[in-house]
Amino acid sequence: MNHAASERVCLDPRFASPFPQAALPMLRNPQLRKNVGHAIDVIQAKRGKLVAEKTDWQELRSAASAIRTHALENLGAYLEQFEARCTAAGGHVHWAADAAEARQIILDLLHQENATEVIKIKTMTSAEIQLNPFLQAAGVSVFETDLAEIILQLGEGEPSHIVVPALHINRSQVREIFARTMGLKDLSDDPKELTNAARTYLRQKFLTVPTAISGANFLIAETGTVAVVESEGNGRMCLTLPRTMISLVGIEKVLPRFQDLEIMLQLLARSATGERMNPYTSLWSGVTPGDGPQKFHVVLLDNGRSSILAKAKERQTLKCIRCAACMNICPVYRQTGGHAYGSVYPGPIGAILTPQLMQMKHAQSLPYASSLCGACYEVCPVKINIPEVLLELRSQVVNQERRQAGRFFDLMYLGLRIANLIFATAWGFHAAQRMGRIGLRFFTRKDGWIHALPSLGAKWTQTRDLRGLPKQTFHQWWATRAKGGK
Amino acid sequence: MKQPVTARQLTLDRIRAATPSAAKDASQLAEAYAALPRAYIRRGALSAQARIELMIQRLREYDAEVVECAPAELANTITTQLATSGRHLFVAPPGTPNEWLVTSAWKITGLEWTIDHGLAIDEHEIEKAEGVVTAATCGIADSGTIVLHHSAIEGRRVLTLLPDYYLCILRASQVVETLPEYFSRCQQPPVLATYISGPSATADIEMTRIKGVHGPRILVVIVVRDEVENIN
Repeated sequence: MNHAASERVCLDPRFASPFPQAALPMLRNPQLRKNVGHAIDVIQAKRGKLVAEKTDWQELRSAASAIRTHALENLGAYLEQFEARCTAAGGHVHWAADAAEARQIILDLLHQENATEVIKIKTMTSAEIQLNPFLQAAGVSVFETDLAEIILQLGEGEPSHIVVPALHINRSQVREIFARTMGLKDLSDDPKELTNAARTYLRQKFLTVPTAISGANFLIAETGTVAVVESEGNGRMCLTLPRTMISLVGIEKVLPRFQDLEIMLQLLARSATGERMNPYTSLWSGVTPGDGPQKFHVVLLDNGRSSILAKAKERQTLKCIRCAACMNICPVYRQTGGHAYGSVYPGPIGAILTPQLMQMKHAQSLPYASSLCGACYEVCPVKINIPEVLLELRSQVVNQERRQAGRFFDLMYLGLRIANLIFATAWGFHAAQRMGRIGLRFFTRKDGWIHALPSLGAKWTQTRDLRGLPKQTFHQWWATRAKGGK
Repeated sequence: MKQPVTARQLTLDRIRAATPSAAKDASQLAEAYAALPRAYIRRGALSAQARIELMIQRLREYDAEVVECAPAELANTITTQLATSGRHLFVAPPGTPNEWLVTSAWKITGLEWTIDHGLAIDEHEIEKAEGVVTAATCGIADSGTIVLHHSAIEGRRVLTLLPDYYLCILRASQVVETLPEYFSRCQQPPVLATYISGPSATADIEMTRIKGVHGPRILVVIVVRDEVENIN
């Protein structure tokens, strides 16, 4: 792996570069774009086939959307119900208002267990609160067990997708990472051999490390059940072999009843990996004597979610079941990959979730990382209207900029204010059109396109061409037509 | 642990303030839930025969090996499968019927069984086993899913996870066509459940599907044709 490239990747929204800057190294990396494009093509083809065979797909989406909306509307009641049932079944429920509290709760639980090592099932929520570096700094060795997460952990890389986090890395790069870190010089780049290397590497960890951390796909309020959906079996290993299990879960993940899974499970695997059902789904309620961990903790994480809940248009962001269908179909994600988003949540859902989790104080460039084509809304299994939320967040960003003290020194701001005055009258607008046609003539090439503009105009022509202005406006053409012109 | 208590109150207060339209009490909540749309397909349309065929087809698409047999042939079928598996050390859950526990019957010698009585054996002993034989709760034909609720005849969760070879015995009468039909069959939600749709797999390296990462790499399903026999 190219270390210079991986060092530049920052997924902490507080410190990451704005999207247009962060995207540049990705756009200039043909290998990365090829890896991302290939992975997405494969998932998309599989998803398309399996969604098409489902004659009730739209009805499933409507039902899922309604259930998620209902669960969020009554989140307080359902969380309390989950807490009561999970506790009655022998689990312990903890609440964390923010990332720092969640990290501390988990570390305290690990200290109670005298744990120096912990095995983990892939959880984006733990990446959101930057749990691994915190635990490592506190002296706890963390072992990721999902194949993609192992590749990233051993290769010191960052996730670029929420379902297939290492999709930007190809087989020869994986071979290089495994050969170097596992000391396997003769390893080939055959995915089967690489997968076997990971199996061997982890087997002893599964059998000996007594403490595990997971996320969750769903919480069931009715029964206090936690659901984890996976493919490899590393999840089942972590859920059954250790003595202590800690599940870190966002408060929005609750579903009212067990039966609701009949909708969610039909949508999730098809949307996420293009399978009719993921290979393994595990459900458990609290602690079962003689089967699996005998100590079970759930850490319910707010970390900005309740403030998203309070806003009418934005609330739907929390319906997300993390299937990644939106990033797989997104024309922007396809070109940039996930790292450009400067967050563990990339793609369209990341573009609306990240700035909101950051209370609109960081990641303000993300609502603009979209062409507003609407494909994400169309594929979303829970019908999140992502373009609607993107527009809402853009207006908030603009309002923030409007209030900034330095705005009168900003050329863009001044230009738009002046344009506002000119365009307010028909006379001004027509005059501006005439001036523009004369002015832009110097920049228009013979092919009728403008390839480069100076000053502020360069912001547009940096990445795209602009069609030259036509000789006539529609108004002028209409007027000549009325007088018998052609 | 005073901090989590205050965090709980803080979070719940924020949620309550954010959701003024929440149901006022449990009955209002139940009413709102009951009114949610459920227009998706909740019953299959296939005949019993077609349903079983679909289940078998899906399992085979997952690279599982599927064998069908009549109820009377089950013990023999198990024997044949284990004999041809090339493995000798097997585990089984405590509720396994005696006739399934083939030892030196037929031409086989050297088949060894460990019955998982839970307390007596630990994970390392299960890890040593080369194969496991269990029953199941349900089969879902549409997705080729095997459902385990981990009763005494299905075993605790680790049992069907560590051995590399898993022989699952599924009765045709346990097979439903769609996922919602399984949920409507559940009188009580299970305390533990595992849904298995094909052997453990990954596509994390270039989306190339690799069978068998951590769970059993070989899945064999015996479909016992009890239902079809009754219908005919």
